[in-house]
Amino acid sequence: MKTIYLTIVLAPLIGAIIAGLFDVSRRVAHTVTIAGVGISFFLSLYVFKYIVIDGGAIFNETLYTWLVAGNIRFEVGFLVDQLTATMLLVVTFVSWMVHFYTIGYMHDDKGYQRFFSYISLFTFSMLMLVMSNNYMQLFFGWEAVGLVSYLLIGFWFTRPTAIYANLKAFLVNRVGDFGFLLGIAAVLMYFNSLNYAEVFAQAEQHKNTLIQIIPGQDWSLMTVICILLFIGAMGKSAQFPLHVWLPDSMEGPTPISALIHAATMVTAGIFMVARMSPLFELSPTALAFVITIGAITALFMGLLGLVQNDIKRVVAYSTLSQLGYMVVALGASAYGVAIFHLMTHAFFKALLFLAAGSVIIAMHHEQDIRKMGGLSKYMPITYWTSLIGSLALIGFPGFAGFFSKDLIIEAAHHAHEAGHLGNAGTFAYYAVLSGVFITALYSFRMFFLVFHGKERMDHHTQHHLHETPAVVTVPLIMLAIPSIFAGMIAIEPMIYKDYFGHAISFEHSPFAHKHFVSLFEFMWHGVKQLPFFLAMAGLITAILLYWELSFIPPFFRQIPAILAKKLSIIHQIMLNKYGFDRFNDWFFAGGSRNVGSFLSSAGDATLIDGVFVNGSAKLVAWFAGTVRHVQTGLLYHYAFAMILGLAFFLGTFVLYGSKLI
Amino acid sequence: MSFNLLPIAPEIFLLTMACIILLVDAYLSDESRDLSYQLVQGTLLGTTSLLWLTFPTQKTFILSSLVVIDPMGALLKLFIVATVFVVFVYSRNYLKARNFFKGEYFVLGLLATLGMMTMVSAHNLLIIYLGLELLSLSLYAMVAMHRDSSQATEAAMKYFILGAIASGMLLYGMSILYGVTGSLDLSVIAQKTAQLDGNKTFFAFGLVFLMVGLAFKFGAVPFHMWVPDVYQGAPTSVTMFISTAPKLAAFAMLMRLLIEGLPAMQAEWQQMLVILSVLSMAVGNIIAIVQSNIKRMLAYSTISHVGFLLLGVLTATQTGYAAAMFYTIVYALMGLGGFGMIVLLSRAGFEAENVVDFKGLNERSPWYAFIMLILMLSMAGVPPMLGFWAKLSVLMEAVHTGYLWLALVGVILSVIGAYYYLRIIWMMYFEKPLDNEPIVTTPDMQVALSANGLIILGLGMFPQALMMACVGSIG
Amino acid sequence: MTIEKLIFYFFATVLVFAAVRVITARNPVHAALFLVLAFFSAAATWLLLQAEFLAIVLVLVYVGAVMVLFLFVVMMLDINIAKLREGFIRYLSVGILVGLLILVEMVLVVRTMTAPVLTAAPVSAVPNIEAIGQVLYSIYIYPFELAAVILLVAMVAAIALTMRSPRQHKYINPSLQVNVRRADRIRLVNLPAEPKD
Repeated sequence: MKTIYLTIVLAPLIGAIIAGLFDVSRRVAHTVTIAGVGISFFLSLYVFKYIVIDGGAIFNETLYTWLVAGNIRFEVGFLVDQLTATMLLVVTFVSWMVHFYTIGYMHDDKGYQRFFSYISLFTFSMLMLVMSNNYMQLFFGWEAVGLVSYLLIGFWFTRPTAIYANLKAFLVNRVGDFGFLLGIAAVLMYFNSLNYAEVFAQAEQHKNTLIQIIPGQDWSLMTVICILLFIGAMGKSAQFPLHVWLPDSMEGPTPISALIHAATMVTAGIFMVARMSPLFELSPTALAFVITIGAITALFMGLLGLVQNDIKRVVAYSTLSQLGYMVVALGASAYGVAIFHLMTHAFFKALLFLAAGSVIIAMHHEQDIRKMGGLSKYMPITYWTSLIGSLALIGFPGFAGFFSKDLIIEAAHHAHEAGHLGNAGTFAYYAVLSGVFITALYSFRMFFLVFHGKERMDHHTQHHLHETPAVVTVPLIMLAIPSIFAGMIAIEPMIYKDYFGHAISFEHSPFAHKHFVSLFEFMWHGVKQLPFFLAMAGLITAILLYWELSFIPPFFRQIPAILAKKLSIIHQIMLNKYGFDRFNDWFFAGGSRNVGSFLSSAGDATLIDGVFVNGSAKLVAWFAGTVRHVQTGLLYHYAFAMILGLAFFLGTFVLYGSKLI
Repeated sequence: MSFNLLPIAPEIFLLTMACIILLVDAYLSDESRDLSYQLVQGTLLGTTSLLWLTFPTQKTFILSSLVVIDPMGALLKLFIVATVFVVFVYSRNYLKARNFFKGEYFVLGLLATLGMMTMVSAHNLLIIYLGLELLSLSLYAMVAMHRDSSQATEAAMKYFILGAIASGMLLYGMSILYGVTGSLDLSVIAQKTAQLDGNKTFFAFGLVFLMVGLAFKFGAVPFHMWVPDVYQGAPTSVTMFISTAPKLAAFAMLMRLLIEGLPAMQAEWQQMLVILSVLSMAVGNIIAIVQSNIKRMLAYSTISHVGFLLLGVLTATQTGYAAAMFYTIVYALMGLGGFGMIVLLSRAGFEAENVVDFKGLNERSPWYAFIMLILMLSMAGVPPMLGFWAKLSVLMEAVHTGYLWLALVGVILSVIGAYYYLRIIWMMYFEKPLDNEPIVTTPDMQVALSANGLIILGLGMFPQALMMACVGSIG
Repeated sequence: MTIEKLIFYFFATVLVFAAVRVITARNPVHAALFLVLAFFSAAATWLLLQAEFLAIVLVLVYVGAVMVLFLFVVMMLDINIAKLREGFIRYLSVGILVGLLILVEMVLVVRTMTAPVLTAAPVSAVPNIEAIGQVLYSIYIYPFELAAVILLVAMVAAIALTMRSPRQHKYINPSLQVNVRRADRIRLVNLPAEPKD
């Protein structure tokens, strides 16, 4: 099995190296990378069958010791359990689909080979992240996916906006990574190990350990560690207030928006918290923090989706909101549910992004939904797959998102009822409930504006509109299938059975002691609940406001504009994304630039450069220039120097013995 | 009386082949001189494999305990022979272009190697001295080999006279030790010194003279004056030879004389090494900054490296010796690469021996600029290059044995030293080339030089194996 | 005993005097001759130690061979000794100072010396020359061979450094000389008689 695991990780890396470092043709570039990821996908299928279905042995071994410093061991090792197997399947499948899709999307791009190399490298990094059995490698994968994300957001590096976006993503992620690194350091300091299994084994002992970071303030060790680690997750999974980079990351090509900024990388934070669940379970404070952040993100980022006009940004805000849902599930101790939603979301959100990409190709890289409309008759496959994706997203009964989202709401409800998280649970419950309505509204707002109604594009574009080629549509169809069925298949084993084994903490899950009756029972129960009605309400509202059907009074269609005018302050705030970007630009970016330029002129240029660096350099140079004259080139001077040295040694050591120094 | 000659089979093979090559070469025309070169390289490879085959697992004394065979010696010999092999690969074209591609040159090189191997496994003052002289005489002749160059002749003269003075002092120190202990055998000397715990003055007296001889061979301050002049004056191929392999032999000589022969005098020689070490690090790093000739600069850089490796020895612990040995080996690798780059850029009628000759190397050849980048970073001690681990390990040992101030001085001086390495990198990457001639080279040189650079990078990533080899061979 | 001591001090004084004259004599030939004297005196002191072989070898090799060669070179080269000595006075003071310093240090060391000084090796029944012969090819075979290699190096180096290629120095090839034929050297030309004007 070791060979298989190694192959899963290394196949994409080899593909990336061949495509990236050697000057290969386009055909070779996409062939090797697709083959590499394909191998990983099929092996992941096998691993999934072996571990999850056949209940095979869990693999937890160190493969290579990189270096040992004192009692700290830096190792490369794999932990493959049910959680990892699930993630492997999701990552490799979506990545593989995106590889195919890229052939069509990047067809005319000059950086074709570079792009394939990057996405394969990304797949490698993500696999390293999910397969690691220690914090060191986790951090490696964490940074590596961050790096590739940076490279891909700035893929079109001649566009100033792309450079701005990738710099922003990089800097914001640094903030998160800083917390993450501190968290890892705290783990190392108190547990004396970086290995998951060793850390989890000791976790219980430290349940009541108190530490003082600020003197006089006792803090629970577990809370500090968990919040620090979660700050890392907030950066990577774009949680409030570190979410600001994700919408801007849409500057990157659409395939990577699907792969990295929707399906996989941004879920690394969710995965990490689920992986660390034995630690998080020990700190209710940290869980309350987690659920609050998740709820804020889920609700408020969804709201922003309502006012966006860029097709990709709408999907991006929807991603933010869905990530918030997952985090809420984590906070409610329903880790299995979070992973379940992660999986279903990966499928339908990748589908939505790729469909958006398909539309963008057809529209000749026009992304404004106000300039679209009526595309359904030109692009039937894209239309139907988008519909499936949207229905899955809003949680229409039967579709994948229905099951996972329903469970999240139930988990939040449980947190609200149980009250162990205080007001945070209550807040989270109402936030995710209202989120359902909003999700349905913005999803179908976009859907109707793009595919129905008047054709608002210019004539040239309209003339050339046609369905995209098979390399684009086949991945759409392939992703549409799990978007429908993944929920039905996975719900019973994943949530109600002992699916994850000991991979994640399960005892505190709200579903631990419940039983699953039948799929139909579950759906029937769901349809009678509030979330369903809210979703339907959202859908209907969208139909009324945005679907230009003949029997709907045109008055409804003016409501959005009227609302925007009446509530112009709120509308403005929302258009400005609550002012986060402006605040960050002014306070953090501007402020640190000012501090930086002050330190640079006063501290660096004058004091350090002037006095210390140049001063000492000049001193050394002067000294060296003087001393070099001792080296006269004359033989007898040299011999004399040797004799003097001898005399000195004789004098000191023979006469004074060894008491000199 | 029976001799067990198997452990010194490599030496015997080397000597036999050197004599055969000398004879064969006499009958070769200049066109077929390559045969000598190939024979010489074959000999070195053969010696390497013999060393490998006879690699000892423990310490044994042979030939009436004149010779000691131990893992440390065997490892050092392996590296010496390998270093000489690479030096010859780098030298071939250089010598051809300057018209002294001669059999004698290589035979002298082989005999110098024999001298070094003798020094490494000597367990008797007489053998140490003979090995040292064998090495030194061959080197003097090699420096003078380029007869048309007045610079080389001058360098040879300086080297010869100063070397003679130093070996005279060494011999004087040895004679004093013999006079006091009545033996040339290092074990007996160690015994006698240990018994004599009262007045050590006379031993200290002998030790000072020994130390002068050792310091001269290493080029430690204040016995370093020959180093810059000889490095600059000698043909680059010879400089490369002098600056690499003999340092490994000198390290072995230091270990044999001080640690095996005079452990009872530890307090004294530690103090002497402290002085030599600090002075070498300071003078080497500071004066290197103002050099415009790159060979001279590397000479001062060598002096500073010697200071660092003495830092490992002066801790007088097993791990300290291992760290010093690691440093010496790493230094030899870096020295090879550094001088190899100078040879690479030189051609007939042009010696790339000024620092400015490296300007704009990146434009002329990005690959070699990269190799030089690795070498310079490694010499400066920047992670993840091999040189970093070497510096780190000796500094750690110094700290562990309570020489914190010495380690601090070392760190500060290596920061100062980083300047002149970085200056070369700056010139290579950010300045325009002065000279746009294409770089002429041969495939063997390309492969060797690239491998040289990449090994420094690769071993820098995974330094464990080499470190363990050093620790294992000392323990 | 006293007579031996007397002889020792006599030869030792001559040795030191001769050594000083080697470096102070103005005429290089004189200096070389003083060196010969120094070698003789040293040989004599060795005889006192009953190291007759070493004493004889010193006289034979150094006086008989090395010094003769040395004198030969000194006489053949036209060395302007006055020029070589230009800096002598200038550096004399510093030289004397450092020399004195080291001398003082050495004297101090010898004074504090308590270690037993080894007496001359006990006289054995075996003659000196036989004793050396017994160990030279047995126990000391390795250093002996090494010394031989050093001589080889000296030889190789001397030839490599001094021998010029045939093109650069004038030499005669005897076989060509022997094989020369009349036709190679003399060309008979038939000149027509010039008309008388």
